[in-house]
Amino acid sequence: MDESFTFSSQKSPEHQSGTIHLSTHRLFYIDSQQQATQSFALDLAYVTQTDHYGGLFSSSPKATLYLTTPSSSDNLGSGTSTTAVPAFESWECEVCAYRNPPGLSSSAARICSLCGVPRSAVPAPELRATSLPSSPPVSGTITPVSHDPTISIACSACTFLNHPSLSVCEICSTPLPTVKHSERSFSAKSAPASRPRSPDDETVPRMIKISFRKGGDKAFYSALKRSLKGKAWENNERGILSERHATTRSGINGILRVVESSAQNRENDLQDSLQDLEALMNKAKEMVRLAADLNEKLTASASSGPSASPLMTSITSDSSALVPATEPEEATFIRSSLAQLGLQMTNTPVTLDMIKDDRKWFDELARELAGILQDSSRSGNGSTGTGLLGERGILPLDEVWGGWNRARGVALIPPSTFLQVIPLLSSYTDPPIRHRTFASGLSVLHTPPFTDAAFAARLSGLLALSGPKTTIEVAQEEKMAVGLAMEMIDAVEQGGYICRDDAQSKITGGSGGGAELRWWANIFESYSWDGHSNIS
Amino acid sequence: MSIATHTTPSGYLLPSIHSAPPFFTKQINPTTRSIADDHWTRIILGYARHRRLFTLRVEDAETSGNDWDEIFRNERINRRLLPDHLVSLISSMVTNNLAVYEPPKQTRSVLLYWRRPEEWADVLHSWVASTGQMNTIMTFYEITNPPVESPLSSLPIVILRKAIDVLSKSGRAQIIAIADGEGVRFFPGPSKT
Repeated sequence: MDESFTFSSQKSPEHQSGTIHLSTHRLFYIDSQQQATQSFALDLAYVTQTDHYGGLFSSSPKATLYLTTPSSSDNLGSGTSTTAVPAFESWECEVCAYRNPPGLSSSAARICSLCGVPRSAVPAPELRATSLPSSPPVSGTITPVSHDPTISIACSACTFLNHPSLSVCEICSTPLPTVKHSERSFSAKSAPASRPRSPDDETVPRMIKISFRKGGDKAFYSALKRSLKGKAWENNERGILSERHATTRSGINGILRVVESSAQNRENDLQDSLQDLEALMNKAKEMVRLAADLNEKLTASASSGPSASPLMTSITSDSSALVPATEPEEATFIRSSLAQLGLQMTNTPVTLDMIKDDRKWFDELARELAGILQDSSRSGNGSTGTGLLGERGILPLDEVWGGWNRARGVALIPPSTFLQVIPLLSSYTDPPIRHRTFASGLSVLHTPPFTDAAFAARLSGLLALSGPKTTIEVAQEEKMAVGLAMEMIDAVEQGGYICRDDAQSKITGGSGGGAELRWWANIFESYSWDGHSNIS
Repeated sequence: MSIATHTTPSGYLLPSIHSAPPFFTKQINPTTRSIADDHWTRIILGYARHRRLFTLRVEDAETSGNDWDEIFRNERINRRLLPDHLVSLISSMVTNNLAVYEPPKQTRSVLLYWRRPEEWADVLHSWVASTGQMNTIMTFYEITNPPVESPLSSLPIVILRKAIDVLSKSGRAQIIAIADGEGVRFFPGPSKT
């Protein structure tokens, strides 16, 4: 949406055309011509009242934002360049000389994490502009930071000369008198340069008018209302305020409070991230539904055949995405990619309430799992490799479980049920898929070529034919993961079909890091002694 | 690389399996390993008998340039026996009574029994009989360092003592304390009388 700004009843010439973005905290203006210089951001915390004008004839719709007057005549929008810098460098506390690490949040970076004394070197304007714009009384009690560290504050009770960054006396804990500094003409460097700063600013109500020349005003206004109602910045500020309150006390108590508050923050973060997870689950459900839709349509179009049946035309008319894509290759491609994601469903998942009997329930589950693994719906065509199993003959159990539950989308199967279903699987699959557990505890499902005996025969044949091989070479030959190949080979070694040759026993170059294991066909089994005969 | 037998410079015929690289690796599979261990034991004892070696130390596999190089190292296939492999070989030989730790209470060095003490006893007795020294008192030194080379030359005292023990149990020898140590007197034995 295009917009122009009107500041204090004058139109802002620099902000004639651009895009408005809105977040929960700020309003961003990105200029279409000069992005680097003319864009700015406005904290929503300053907005007290909003107005919406629908537009009439030639005048475009407008949104008016009435703004509070901050305590000092400083900026409203805080540029990113001023806020970001101090938080990301390490600094040394002047009181305890602790070297504070960088990367803390902007509020935490202003306070020494060891002793809790506020950092004195942070320039005050940034401090005020970034985090405490709406609380002038609080900022008054915190000693304003002077750039002259020699000024000390005499305690009114014990006359001890305190460091200016302390708020209570170091000796007797009496609150210290605040020293007002006259040089409080703060001005942030990146405040919108265009904003007229006239002396009568204090009297004229401050406001911004946003004119929507290309529409989008309604959407913007409702989003704005929502953000203002949400007051996301207040939560943040409360956190900062309490933290600040805590850190005004120094000593062990202060440290304890810092620890406490950081624990609290961690907990909050954790909750936030769990919320994200829930959102993801919702999305996953949608995705599954989409896959189901897609599959249904594909099935429908496939059954209707290439001749344009009424059903077909109805599909083409209502879904634009999928339409002439009923050509077999593309349909196959879509299906196979769905299958690879595990999002393949020929029907709705079986759930417990559909089936009364426990035994039957497991049977049905096994049937469903078999379908997912081998794509039973297409087995008639003789095409292979579209199920979850694909062209691989062996799959770790966790992958199967994950893929199955992804395919189900709803009513997920717990691992315990999954394990009960697995023994039934072989009767529903062709070729039968069986379960196998390796010595290390790794469980896999596999097709007949990957039974221990079959693999051992194949491996010893391979070794006899093409000489000793490393595990990696075997894995390449068998097209399986190296870890899995290792397990399989170990099992074969247990069976005594092969033996190992460790490169560590090399006379030269063996003890290095590149020592590798080579597998040999078992040369000991068929060996008969042909060495020195012991007749002395 | 072809797997074939090989004759060492000292004239010992190494079996073909000695040219197979896996032979020098400690096998994990118990069955395979016991086969390999049997072959190793046979090579070691055979070589010891061939060279008349009585002691085997783990150090022999750790360093080169000793009596055991010919069997513990195979330069042709660039393989050597690792010390820890030798340790396990030695312990299995001790278990099978084919060697004994000497000195006792350690596992780094063994005396090899390429003849068992009973066999040594027979050899000793027949040697005494053939050299006509029955009923005379002999010192251990006279037995192990005879003026004429004998099967008992340089036999370790420990083994000799065990052999004499075997003989004295069957009444064919008697340990006698003499002025500077111990002596032994041999009898024709109950079998002859």
